[in-house]
Formats: sequence, C-alpha cells, structure tokens
Amino acid sequence: MTFVHPWMLLGTVLGLLPLLVHLFDRRRPRPQPFAAIAFVLRSHRRTTSRLRLKRLLLYTLRTLLLLAVPVALARPQLVRPGAAPAHAAGPAATALVVDRSLAMRFRDGETLFERARDEAREALASLLPDEPVTLVPCGPDAEPPPPPGFDRGRVRQALDALQPSYGGADLARCLGLGARALEDSPLPGKRLVLVSAFTQVALRLEAPPPRVKVGDKLVQPEVVLRDVARGRVLKNHFLLEVKAEPSPQTGPRMVQVTFTARNVPAGEAGEVAASLELSGRPVAKAFLALGPGGTVQKTLVARAEAGGAVTGAVVLPEDGLAEDDRRAFVVQVPRELRVLVVDGAPSPVRYRDEAFFFEAALAAPGSPVHPTLRDAEAAWREQLREYDVVALLNVAAPSAEVAGRLKAYVEGGGGLLVSMGDQVEAEAWNQRLGALLPRPLRLVKSAGATGETAVRPARLGEVAFDHPLFQPFTGKAREGLLSARFSRYMLVEAGPRSGDAAEVLAAYDDGAPALLLARRGKGRVLLLTSSVDRDWADFAIRTSFLPLIQRSATFLAGGLDERERIEGRIGESLVLHPENGVRVVEVRSPSGGAAPLRPESDGGLRVGPFVEPGIYRPLDAAGAPAMSPFAVVLDPAQSDLTRVKAEALAAYFGEEAVRGPAGTAEATVPVWTWLLVAAVLFFFLEGMLLRTT
Amino acid sequence: MAPLDAATIAKLAGVKLRARAVMEGVLSGLHKSPHQGQSVEFAEHKEYAPGDELRHLDWKAYGKFDRFYIKRYEHETDLRATLVVDASGSMGFSSGALSKLEVATSLAGALSYLLVRQQDAAGLSVLAGETFQDVPPRAAAGHLSTLLGALERLEPKGGTNLRAAADHLSEGLPRRALVVVLSDLFDETPDALKRILRLRARKHDVAVFHILDPAELEFPFDDPTLFLSMEDERRLEVNAREIRESYLEELGAFLEETRALCAESDVDYQLVRTDQPLDAVLLEFLARRQGRRR
Repeated sequence: MTFVHPWMLLGTVLGLLPLLVHLFDRRRPRPQPFAAIAFVLRSHRRTTSRLRLKRLLLYTLRTLLLLAVPVALARPQLVRPGAAPAHAAGPAATALVVDRSLAMRFRDGETLFERARDEAREALASLLPDEPVTLVPCGPDAEPPPPPGFDRGRVRQALDALQPSYGGADLARCLGLGARALEDSPLPGKRLVLVSAFTQVALRLEAPPPRVKVGDKLVQPEVVLRDVARGRVLKNHFLLEVKAEPSPQTGPRMVQVTFTARNVPAGEAGEVAASLELSGRPVAKAFLALGPGGTVQKTLVARAEAGGAVTGAVVLPEDGLAEDDRRAFVVQVPRELRVLVVDGAPSPVRYRDEAFFFEAALAAPGSPVHPTLRDAEAAWREQLREYDVVALLNVAAPSAEVAGRLKAYVEGGGGLLVSMGDQVEAEAWNQRLGALLPRPLRLVKSAGATGETAVRPARLGEVAFDHPLFQPFTGKAREGLLSARFSRYMLVEAGPRSGDAAEVLAAYDDGAPALLLARRGKGRVLLLTSSVDRDWADFAIRTSFLPLIQRSATFLAGGLDERERIEGRIGESLVLHPENGVRVVEVRSPSGGAAPLRPESDGGLRVGPFVEPGIYRPLDAAGAPAMSPFAVVLDPAQSDLTRVKAEALAAYFGEEAVRGPAGTAEATVPVWTWLLVAAVLFFFLEGMLLRTT
Repeated sequence: MAPLDAATIAKLAGVKLRARAVMEGVLSGLHKSPHQGQSVEFAEHKEYAPGDELRHLDWKAYGKFDRFYIKRYEHETDLRATLVVDASGSMGFSSGALSKLEVATSLAGALSYLLVRQQDAAGLSVLAGETFQDVPPRAAAGHLSTLLGALERLEPKGGTNLRAAADHLSEGLPRRALVVVLSDLFDETPDALKRILRLRARKHDVAVFHILDPAELEFPFDDPTLFLSMEDERRLEVNAREIRESYLEELGAFLEETRALCAESDVDYQLVRTDQPLDAVLLEFLARRQGRRR
C-alpha cells in the first residue's frame, strides 16, 4: 500500500478521541433515591451485556470513522498483487536491471530511485537460495555486468552504492547486457528483473526484446517489470534551451538570455515564475504560462556586474524533477578595454593622420573599446599598466627605456599591436623591440614595384579563418577582407624562430606574412606588416577594417578567445583548446571533483564525459583559472517523462511481465474512495446504534 | 366542585385536612353521580320481628300486603373495614407534590371519614418493615380522630413485607371484613402479593390501591444517574436512557401480573398515580364497589 499524501496519516491520532473521551470526560452521575430500584436493577441485569456490546460497537465505529477520514485523505493506493511471475521449472539465474536515468531522480515523497533500490532489494530477497543473481546498473555508462553469482551481500552492497545519474539510460541495451550475463549461468531458467519508471526516452521499443542464448537457441527469458512510478503520470516542466549572449546594443555589460521552457507530458503547470541569476544573484524574473504540453520562450535582459566570463542560471520553480528546473550558462560579457593608441605620424589633416581610421574603428558605437590617442612623445609618459592594449601605429623605434617598459608590459599580460609605416626602421626596431616582435623586421616591400606588371598591389592570399580573430569573416564578409589592397608592407624574417611560437594569421598573395601573432610572457603581440592609414594600403577604408581592428584589440586583451561559447552535455565530452603557453591541469566539476582529462592529438584537451550539470572551471597548476569556465547542461530529451503505455509494454515484454509484482498502468488501485464510503457507513451505523436504546 | 388535584391537596397540612377535603369531594361527587346509593339508602325488606325498630316499618308495604315489613338500609350491613397502609421506605418517594405515603394516608383518612360517617367500623393496620401498628376497627364517631391521628404520625421507614402483613392480618381479622390495602406493592418476596390476596379466600373483601409515582411509571430520567434504594443499601450507576425501555417493560409486566392476580382473586384493584385527583380515585372505587354489589 502506498499513500499519495502520507503526512495526512498524522490525523489518525484522532482515532484515540473516543477512548480519551471515555476515559477523561465522564460526567458525574446525579444521585437519585428511587423506590422502584428493583426494576432498575433487573433492567440493568437484563441489558448489561447488550449495552456493553452496543458501547463497544459505538467506540469501534467512532474510532473507525475517525481513522477512515485521515487515511482516506492520505489517498492510499493498493498495489495490486498481480499474477506471480511465472517461474521456469526450477531455479532461474536472475539479472537485476536498475534504471539510473535522470527520470529516476523524480521526487514523489521519496525519489523514484530510492523506491527502485527498495524494489530491487525486495526482488533480491524474494529469490530462491539456489538462484544466482547479477546487477546491471543502467545509466549512461552501463557496462556488461559480472556473471550471475550467489554472493548476495556483494549485490546488496552494489545496490546500496548505486546513485541515479543525470543522464539517460538505454533500458533495451541494459536488458541485452543482462541477458548476455545470464548466458554464463548453466541454469536453464533465465530471468530479467527490470526496475524502472519506464519513460519513453529510456525504453526504445524499436529495439528487439531481450533474448538469452541457451545452447544454440535464443530463448525468451522470464521478464519481471517493477514500475517505481506505480502507474502514475510524471508531470514535469523543464528548461529546454538557454541561450545567453552579450547585448551591447542595450547598454554596457548587458546580457540577453533567451530560454525555452516546456511542460511534459500534458500536465497543467499553469503560470510559473522563471528567474534569471547572474553571478549567483537573481537579476530578473518572468512569468510563463505553461499550458498542457506547452512550450514557452522568453527573453530576459540584465546587466552583469563585471565584464568577462559571467556565470548565470535560469531557474524554474521546483517540481518533481528539480534537476531540470535550473540550467546554468556562461556568457562572455565584453569588458571595457582601454587602448593606448600611439600615433607615430600625426597630421593636422584628420584623414591623413596615421591613427584616424584606427581610432575611428575602435571608438565606433557599441564598441567596448575606449581608445586614448597620444603622439609618440606623450605616449611614453602614460602608465602603460592602465591600458589593456598598446597600439604602436607607424611609430619610430622607441628608446631603450621605453622598449624595456613595453617588454615588461607585454610580459605582464598586456597586448601590443604594431603596424608599419614610414617611421618604422627595421634595424632600430629589431634592436630595441626585437624580443617582442613575432619575427624580426627586414625591409619594406612595395608591391608592383618589381615591374612585372604595372602597379599591382598585394592582396591577402592566405588567412587563418579558423582563428577567433577572423571568425566574423564568413561568406561574403570574406570579400571585404580579401579585396583589400596593400601597396607596401614590411617583410619579416622567414620561418619560425627556434623556441618561438609566432603564428602567421594572414599572408599576402605573394606569401609574405601580413599579420603575425606571438605570445610573450602573459601578453600577446600582433604585428601588421602594413599601415593602418591609407599610405601603404586601402585596408583602412574596407568594410573588414573595423571588425578586424576591434577584434584585434579585444583579442590582445584576452577577451576574444573567451567569446567562444563552450557548453557541454551530460554523458558527453568536449575539447578545450588552451592558448599557447596556457596549461590546464584540472577541470573542476560543480561538486568540487575533477572531470576526466585526456590530451588530444591536435593539442586540445578532452574533458569528460560529464556526469553532473553545472559550471566547470579549468584550472592551471597553481589552481588559478586557466580558461573561462563553461557550463554543462542536461540533455533536455531526458526531461520528457512521458511513460510507455502498459499496452506497449505488454506487446514488447508480454502480458505476464506487465502483470508482474508492480506492473504498470493497472498496478495501483485507489482505495481512498472506498474508505470514504466506509466512513459514511460508519457514521450512519453510529447514528442507528445511538437511536436504538 | 372540581376534582381535587394532588397539588391542591398537597397544600393542605396534615392528614385530617386532606382526608376531609377528599371526603367532601367524594360526597359532592356522589351527589352528582349516576351511581347513587349511600349506605343510608334502602337496601331490602325484612319481615318484622319483635325488637325491630318501629320507625323503620314500611307502612306502604303494610297497606299493600297487610304484613309488617321493616326497611333495611345499607349502613345496617355491619361492615368492619381495616385500612392497611404500607409505610415502608419506598412509600416516601415523591417526584411531585405528594409522596406515595401522603397519598395513601389521605385516601385512608378519607375512607375512614366515609366509614365512620355511615357508622361502619374502621380500623387501621400500618406496615413498616417487620413491625405493625394496629388500630382496631370501631364504629364510634370518636374513633375517627384516633385513626386520623395514627395516620398523621406515619413516617416512611423499613422495607416492604407484604407476606408478613398478610399473616398478621389473617390472625387479626377473626370475621369477615373489608381489607383495603394501600401500597406500592414493591415486595420482591415471591408470592408476597398472593398471600395478601389469599385473604379473599377467607371471605374477606379485599381492595388494593396500588399507589405509584408518575416517575416510577414513566421513568423520565435521561442522564447517567446513581439510583439509590430507599429501603436498603442497594445502589446502581447507570445511563438511565439506555435502560428506560427495559425498565418500562419490567414495570409493565409487574403491573400486568398484579392486575391479573387481583382479578383472579376477585380483588378490587385500582392503580393510583400520586398526581391523580384523590376524590376521583375514591369515587371510582365506590362506584365500582356499588357495581359489584348489584
């Protein structure tokens, strides 16, 4: 017997009322001298036994009445005993398949998994002494179980240690694993006991039913189904999808979160309040009208406290399955970058100024970059550490002192962008800042000056479009980049220097590097071998100029690579690509454990498979964040708790299995209505008894 | 004159007043009653014999038959009556204006008045437990005050012993007499009533006034009640409502048995409720006796 509202059983203490009233509320009898006492005595003798019986009946009826009402309100349900599983002749080797899927975390007083464990223990206890048994935990990581054995203690221990997973389960596969394990037993009887909530997502009915190979024949094992949901519909609302992205158009550090909630199966969820949390604090709320089987999408906008990787979550009110009512995310909020633009060739004519186009690109509306323009003399008076990026535009080689400051600045984590121009002398630069540059400068090349063709400026020939810097340049956007013409550019030393990891991100059509990247210490250096004004190229007036310059600044500040949206799923793994020089030694899970790590052949780092949802944090050897954190989310398919119909189960496993110890749809019989009828009957009988004297 | 109800009689202090009031009510009722016929009325003729009173000669009969006939009247029947009053403890019960003993003494007093008034001999025998108090029957007018005085002094006490009373009366009544028993007949001794009724077999005229209180007849109690015996130490705590039906059945059977026994023994039986008008009770009694005589 089970109860829908077990706490109502507290009301059964009311059943003591008649006894307490009898014991403590006895009225003092009125003394009455009476002449005809002989008749009173005779009447009393005559009626004593009858009255005693009547009083007993009254107490019983009143007690039953007071017991029946709270027990009925607790909504008891009888588990129909059903037909005993048809035993094979003699003992049967048994495989206990226990569903560990996300659905088993559904809470109905206790979790379905706790109930499943009890059911499995009960099934274990009901086995005959000469029946070997094996346990098949059925989660996303189901493995072949050991052959059936007689060590019940070991199986019981394994059962005790079982925990529900956050992922799915393939019950058909687990049954197959169990069936194969049964083949190892010499006993002719084979039995599969499946303890599950029988959700559609867990039980693939298109898979063939389990069969056990006995000798040369495939035989159908005895299947016992134990439905831990007791035939009930499991109503659940959950977050189907959450998409969080920066929303610079609505303001600085604004984040736009679009989420989709669903209500399955056709249960009435009504209006639910969804809230948005950023950095652990609720920042916005929305009300969703979730109709039966409905899906609702909402968008919330909120401001993050700071830029960078911001963790957040969308939260729905908890229902039976609370795990899918919260979904975490990580959003890269653009940081406000400060860029010191060092103008090496200022001009009173604005458009001829070396930094005119560059500054305009950085300061475009919606840009998170705040440029500070200085000429070469004033720039060195600035405190470099106050800037995220320093851009040296056609600047003559600085003094040794300034070069030292720049080197310290970059190695300390600053970003340096260097563009060429007439002011740049290769030899002086190599001498002063050679250690910072990706490659040493050689000489200026004028495109078309070779005389082979008339004046034919160079174009970009090879671009690393898979690099984050060029991510926006897809489709026709690439034309804006590839059509830029470069009439002059600085040649650099060919090939990588030993021990250096300079990358050529773009090259001219003649193969000369156009954009180079190097990491120096904690900082990055980008070298554009042409100019950012119109003296050496028309790139400054191309549509690709603005996004590339903005992304370059962001990239140098370390913010661009963070914009890659990394999101994992339970049961799956993903590959992290730490930057050169960054070493991830641990990825810490939400519960504080370490996620499995495996290096990939391409230099990436495979993390997972993930076993719990939430925020994962890649850490370096010192325990400091090595990369942005990322979110791991549940597979929304597992949140659909629609159950397999009894008829479908019967068709798949056979009638006998469905009518087993705790079959499905018809397994529970509500008895509270009968209790209410009984209460009314008790009330009526009590009145009748009172009336009869 | 309206019948005297129990409440009115209860206002009169003492048996004498009550008895007188009851008697006057009876006389007034007789005047109006269709069953007229006091003892002074003509009863029969008797041929004259020397010594008879000449004043009773029926001269009209002499004219018709030429013989002397003497008119005889009822008071000349030479009645000796003994009023047996039960003064046991149970007779002290009262749920209304009068206790059963007060009703019994009032009725006995009124009967004494009537008897003495028509020059019959009236005596008294009081039962109180195992003891008896007797006033021998006399017809003298002054005897009335003796009777009333004895009745006046009665207090309820002791148990009811009808058997002993029957034995006592058998011994004390040497010749035919009218025995009027006024009692609630609550004697649990087997055949106690039968012993009383056997007086009838000894040629005594026996009349029984069965006096009961309305509460005894109707058992109006409802709540848990501690019933206390009025004659001994018996007591019982019981929910009165629960046994009411059974009690009434028991009492009904008792009354039925009593009535049947009286009828079998040709004993005049009258159930008297203590809230009943006593003159009406007596009138009914007298009318019934008149009927029996005819």
